[in-house]
Amino acid sequence: MTIQMFEKPLGMRDDFPSIVKRKSKLSKVGIKIMEQFGYEMLQTPSLEYYETIGKISAIADNQLFKLLDNQGQTLVLRPDMTSPIARVAASKLLKEKMPVRLGYYSNVFRAQLREGGRPAEFEQIGVELIGDESLYADAEVILLATEILRGLKVESGRIVIGHTQLLQEVLRGYGLDAALAEKLRAEMVAKNKVAYENMVDTLVDDAETKSSLKMIMNTTRLEDWEQWIDQTDPVQRSLYEDIRKLKTILDRNGLADFVTYDLSFTSHMTYYTGMVFEIYGEGSGFPLGNGGRYDGLMKQFGLHVGATGFSLRVDRLLEAMPAEQENPEQTLILYNEKNEENAHKEAEKLRTAGTRVTLQFAPAVKAQEEFSSLFSKVIRMDGENNG
Amino acid sequence: MDKLTIAMPKGRIFEEAYELLVKAGFDLPEELDDSRKLIVEAPNEGFRFILSKPMDVPVYVEHGVADIGIAGKDVLLEQARDIHELLDLEISRCYIATAGLPDTAMDEMTPRIATKYPDIASQFFRSRGEQVEIIELNGSIELAPMIGLAERIVDIVSTGKTLKENGLVEYDKIVDITSRLIANPVSYRLKQKRIDEIVERLRK
Repeated sequence: MTIQMFEKPLGMRDDFPSIVKRKSKLSKVGIKIMEQFGYEMLQTPSLEYYETIGKISAIADNQLFKLLDNQGQTLVLRPDMTSPIARVAASKLLKEKMPVRLGYYSNVFRAQLREGGRPAEFEQIGVELIGDESLYADAEVILLATEILRGLKVESGRIVIGHTQLLQEVLRGYGLDAALAEKLRAEMVAKNKVAYENMVDTLVDDAETKSSLKMIMNTTRLEDWEQWIDQTDPVQRSLYEDIRKLKTILDRNGLADFVTYDLSFTSHMTYYTGMVFEIYGEGSGFPLGNGGRYDGLMKQFGLHVGATGFSLRVDRLLEAMPAEQENPEQTLILYNEKNEENAHKEAEKLRTAGTRVTLQFAPAVKAQEEFSSLFSKVIRMDGENNG
Repeated sequence: MDKLTIAMPKGRIFEEAYELLVKAGFDLPEELDDSRKLIVEAPNEGFRFILSKPMDVPVYVEHGVADIGIAGKDVLLEQARDIHELLDLEISRCYIATAGLPDTAMDEMTPRIATKYPDIASQFFRSRGEQVEIIELNGSIELAPMIGLAERIVDIVSTGKTLKENGLVEYDKIVDITSRLIANPVSYRLKQKRIDEIVERLRK
């Protein structure tokens, strides 16, 4: 295969100045809000061992970029940030400071299986709150996520909340065998109501169980959940109590109209063990981000502590953010050999005053008119008159 | 009221699907399909229809330029896109099957299979542990066995008439197909009330 001069590997992109500008603004706003909430920024390596992070991360094996190091060990380009941060938190360094609040703004790598135009490298912004099992930690990360959306002026966002453990307990309460419950759960993940209903119809005998199971897919309000909660079961009762308290906190913070409580909402990522959520916004056809409680992941690093967090996708946030018209003043100074020293002095003066100044040796520019038109102001110091 | 964009497949499925919407009591303009327009408004319901190739409906819906759409299960199986499947409309019923010339056995080494559905075909033969060579065609699949391009085809069968006319017989039925109402995951959440209502009215 010959590679054309301008080609890039599948899914890799160049970011042009306008995008870089918007991204840097986004990261500035996001990081500031995370820091205001007491989160400290963390960076982890781009390369990790396949044996650890590669296998623990919930990203499918065929989406991992794998390579070999000079010892013959298989490495992966980090496919997510949650598992590396869990690794760091589980290390001795941070264990004693729990609960720890960590934030990140990082690129992650996921090989694309279809439609080569989709990014295989993209940035995520998010947090992990590790060492707190309470619902208050869950509430904190949801509020932080919505605060970031607000800071970025993403309008009409919507959050869907589910609870993986409670859902599992409810399904178990029907006395379904584990394999069937898992199949039903898989259809819930895909939100394939047709396949789900067919499965319930063919595999469940009792008519009452059938209609009750089918209804789970249609819940939108937390009160709806009550008909499935077995109040005599202490586990279900306490989990439901938790999520009710969570709702109270979110309502108090003005989110009542923005949250959908869907008992059937769950994730394909098996390390989620409690509350899970996903965030949507007008302007992007794909979810902006998601999160939840993942105590199960911490266990894989040998730590029995609670952990909760979220990540937002930067490329999708950019789609959902309002377009900005802001065009900062950019001054051009064109100079010739004679005025070189003066031009530098002039530029320095303007820059100290806060202006953005581009210094350009005039004879080096072939198309002066086109070049000058890129600037809001042009100062000629090349012996020509100001146009 | 927010506009709801609905991707509709042109051709065979369109009329059945449109009739279904009218029957469910939606106030839609009378004839739509005879125009060559690609976008048609139904202002009384706040609907905007996008008329597209059946294969493209899930693409529009996955990317969110259409909130919901009507797509054949064959297309959904082939493309495995990230969309929600909300309702089996039970129209355009047919099935996918393998077919070939009568009384022929498949080549023992690597039989060749012609199809418009390379993923479905490949999955079917893999599930039976058979190694095959898939040849993707865009139409007139029945031609392949007749001219010796492939020993079997994998294609849609609705009445079996086309197979018969071309002297082919059906060998294995792979999966039943009907049209489905699908939704973009984000639209489903942002416009859930309206979409759920449409589902309920179509269900009746």
